[in-house]
Amino acid sequence: MRARHVFAITSLVFLGVLAISPAKNALRPYRSLQQQFRKLGATRAHSLKEALRYEGQSVAIRQIWLPRLDGRVDRCATCHLGAADPVMAQAPEPFRLHPATAHTPSEFDRFGCTSCHGGQGPATSLEEAHGIAEDAGPPMLPREQIEAGCGRCHSGETVDEAPVLSRGRAVMTRFGCYACHLVRGHEDFRSEAPPLTTIALKTGAAWLRQWLKNPKTVDPNTTMPSFDLTDAEIDELSHALFGRTPPQELAAAVAAAEREGPGDPAAGKKIFSEARCISCHTVEGKGHGTAPELSKVATAATRGWLLAFVRDPHAFNPRTRMPQYGFSPSESRDVVAYLEDELRDFDAPKDILLPLRVNRTLAEKGEKAFRARGCFACHAGTGATVAERFGPDLNGVGDKKARSLDFGKREDLPRTTPAWLGAKLANPRSFAQGLKMPSFDLPPDDVRAVVTALLALGAQPAPEAYRSAERQPPGVIPGGELGRLFDRYRCLSCHQIGDRGGDISTAPLTHEGSKVRREWLTSYLLVSYSIRPIIEERMPIFRMSRADAELLAGAITSFYVDPAIPQDPFAGHPDSDRDIGEGERLYTSLGCRACHIVGAAGGYYGPPLTDTQSRLQPGWVFAWLKGPQKWRADVRCPDYGLTDTDALRLTAYLETLKAPAETVARGKS
Amino acid sequence: MSSRRLSIALALLGLAACSRKTVPAAAPSGPPPSYEVRLGHDVFVHYCSTCHGEAGAGDGFNAYNLDPHPRDLSDPAFQKKKTDAELADTIRRGGAGVGLSSLMPPWGRTLSDRQVAEVVLYVRSLEKTAP
Repeated sequence: MRARHVFAITSLVFLGVLAISPAKNALRPYRSLQQQFRKLGATRAHSLKEALRYEGQSVAIRQIWLPRLDGRVDRCATCHLGAADPVMAQAPEPFRLHPATAHTPSEFDRFGCTSCHGGQGPATSLEEAHGIAEDAGPPMLPREQIEAGCGRCHSGETVDEAPVLSRGRAVMTRFGCYACHLVRGHEDFRSEAPPLTTIALKTGAAWLRQWLKNPKTVDPNTTMPSFDLTDAEIDELSHALFGRTPPQELAAAVAAAEREGPGDPAAGKKIFSEARCISCHTVEGKGHGTAPELSKVATAATRGWLLAFVRDPHAFNPRTRMPQYGFSPSESRDVVAYLEDELRDFDAPKDILLPLRVNRTLAEKGEKAFRARGCFACHAGTGATVAERFGPDLNGVGDKKARSLDFGKREDLPRTTPAWLGAKLANPRSFAQGLKMPSFDLPPDDVRAVVTALLALGAQPAPEAYRSAERQPPGVIPGGELGRLFDRYRCLSCHQIGDRGGDISTAPLTHEGSKVRREWLTSYLLVSYSIRPIIEERMPIFRMSRADAELLAGAITSFYVDPAIPQDPFAGHPDSDRDIGEGERLYTSLGCRACHIVGAAGGYYGPPLTDTQSRLQPGWVFAWLKGPQKWRADVRCPDYGLTDTDALRLTAYLETLKAPAETVARGKS
Repeated sequence: MSSRRLSIALALLGLAACSRKTVPAAAPSGPPPSYEVRLGHDVFVHYCSTCHGEAGAGDGFNAYNLDPHPRDLSDPAFQKKKTDAELADTIRRGGAGVGLSSLMPPWGRTLSDRQVAEVVLYVRSLEKTAP
């Protein structure tokens, strides 16, 4: 009897235990969500048939399987039922239609959800899928760093539809993060920081002390971070830097320059402005700001050093972006006289440029600090390669679990990877004492952008099928004489060629040879001016010799040529395609004058077309009119979808436009 | 009490005035603009604001030389008169395509349909609310 009771009770308990699993499944939140969705669909449906379709949907797990994307399984659609359903526009979450992006809703089947949003694809509860649960895998990307998802496949520098990501990458390049940290694709990165062999020729002990204390307070444009050095360390480093022997020829050049007579500051001021120094530098904050602020430059460097540097900057720092100007000896004296006269700190102590009497013991300690603090990572000098990165490898930082990160003293932070990265960038020393990462003092927007770029760094590169191809062809710089001139004038500091070059100029040189006329380019190189009236004069007047200008113009116009751009666009077309009158009519009816000036009338957004004949080749004008975005992706000139005939007639008209005599004279003078 | 309330109200008014001047698109206290509107803003600023101005008031710097002047897109009467489809059509086909000035170029071959739709959404967010 007793055994029967025991048997009955055990059976009941056993049955109860068996029932737990199906009961748990029946109570899963996604089931009630799917029922809600059916009702919502039925009320939002546009027809009875559609409504019945919603009503008939079965309750089930929905998933996207991506065999070619690491075999990823995303079950997000189990709750986000309307993500690809236009009926669900503006519906309440989790049913809302996904915003239209380059890949959605058309390519859900190719990308799934977690490839962009992160989180746990196979999970079917909110806490686990979004990674909120304590024991879940890495959480979803926060909305403000969502563009990190784009960066997993788009590993190039800029992604048009991900401005935050692109900005983060640009900040990382500018501040030289890759000098200390290994990142895929940036293995060959070399910092532009000067090799520190000529400090003793350049500046004084007092100035160097200020600089080492906090470079940003001396020059707001600098990318050198603050290392929170102690006074003792600053002293040791100063002795080390002053104790280095400068290359003999530089020491001789500086010493000789020091002995030269005075220059004319007024003439120097004019040269300074024509050289467009503030296209990169700033003076009291005015200018581009990617090169040093110059308002106190004569307090930072001796006259001899300034003079020798202005004459040949590449001898002092082979990787500087500064061009070598063609100043005559007296012109460079004038420029430096202007710097000495006006661009100095009038309140600076008199002894700021006094050299340091080097103490060998301190200098040795300083050299040790130079290595221990990682200074060498950027100031590697010539020829030396950084075999091992000073900082940790950043590949995979985007996949790091928050649990594996050391939050140290930062009790205040949410325990997430983005929060940790943000705090690390904003205040690297706040985690613990003695950490090596210096502080870059980035504004909050830049911190957010860099965190986005960092979160895009997966442990593994995206699978081959998903890697986005580079849109720009590789930029080729020829060797020989042209290569030497490109290097001398540092064209790539501002201009782009293919996928290389700076971002100061809006005129890429990739197709320059098919675009402009050789004679025009020669005169432009000699005396440059701003092509578009709304843009400030930025192209320097290099004071290059006519021989250099002719060589450069000849080489550019024969080397940077696109075979898709015809030399004579009219060849093989009937004479009626040269109808200038029809071209002029098209110019008016298309509304070109909204942006371009011809004669006295028109907008001033685009380049004036008054001297098209002398500046542009007809083949280029035709190719441009057939589709401007093909030549510069972000250009505002709209594609009018012109027929060949219309584009040719317009070309014929524009090619009749000649500048009045005095403008030509200005360009040639 | 009432003077404190008054000062708060004044401060709020001041804030509203300031924010209208700097970020005319976003209402001072509304929800943040949606992803599409933000994308639309970026496209608008790049391609349209040179003439229409960032707030759509027709006061972009390039508008100075244009006759007829660019449309004030923030005008409530204009906003009411045009359907989304009409706005998209004008953006795609340009002024000449819809019987208006040819100074407004056609963007249908430069912008994708998605971008045009985003710009329409952004233009809708520009409507001036009654003072």
